[in-house]
Amino acid sequence: MNMLSIIFIVAGLFFMIVAAIGVIRLPDVFSRSHAASLADSLGAFLMLVGIALHEGLGINMLKILVVLALLYILNPVIAHATIRAALRSGLKPWQKETS
Amino acid sequence: MALFVFWIMLSASFEWTHLGLGLIFSFAAAWLNSGHSPFVPKFRLWLRILLYLPWLFYKIIQSSLNLSKLILHPALPIAPHMISVESKLRHHAAVVLLGNSITLTPGTITAEVDRNNLIVHAMDKSDEIVIKQMESKIADIFKDEEPDL
Repeated sequence: MNMLSIIFIVAGLFFMIVAAIGVIRLPDVFSRSHAASLADSLGAFLMLVGIALHEGLGINMLKILVVLALLYILNPVIAHATIRAALRSGLKPWQKETS
Repeated sequence: MALFVFWIMLSASFEWTHLGLGLIFSFAAAWLNSGHSPFVPKFRLWLRILLYLPWLFYKIIQSSLNLSKLILHPALPIAPHMISVESKLRHHAAVVLLGNSITLTPGTITAEVDRNNLIVHAMDKSDEIVIKQMESKIADIFKDEEPDL
């Protein structure tokens, strides 16, 4: 059980690091927010599942699952709000130079 | 009231300060939301949405791995572009579900919604196929409901 939770947490960390690299490497707001949503949807999910397994059955596991459900509801809302604001303020998405 | 029970469950302490704060906040939250549409239980619909979630989750993992590969690729072979999706969905809730699914999947974000036209920002050419699949799945979920759009 402990081993499994460590595996989950390390996998979550991996995706968080990938997301951080993505935020630095990608060219504009639109694509950067994709990287940020990667950190939420898979990074945070794997880490929270790992912590829930570590805690074992009980009230703390329930709390973590509530956090997870709220995260999955709120993440698209925030991402959409950011992107819509960027689009409405006249920002143009980055394109490949060749096109 | 349900919110207050929830608070007690989460805080797991029965001191007066905790209970009082919980009482205030749960009633405040209920009062703030009292103007919204009441919850109508439609069990068939909710069951279908529940059955849709595992598939969505599988797609989230798939596209997460795909996006991670793109980010870590030394040449950064991304092709961001806007897709205009005109869906055939005829329900407010269905369009909301579609938009949420698109945004929740890494690599695609809903940028603008106008009735049943969505403008989506996508990272990769292959994302369009996933959106089409989502739309047909959601159309399946809502096929027995009254159209309201």
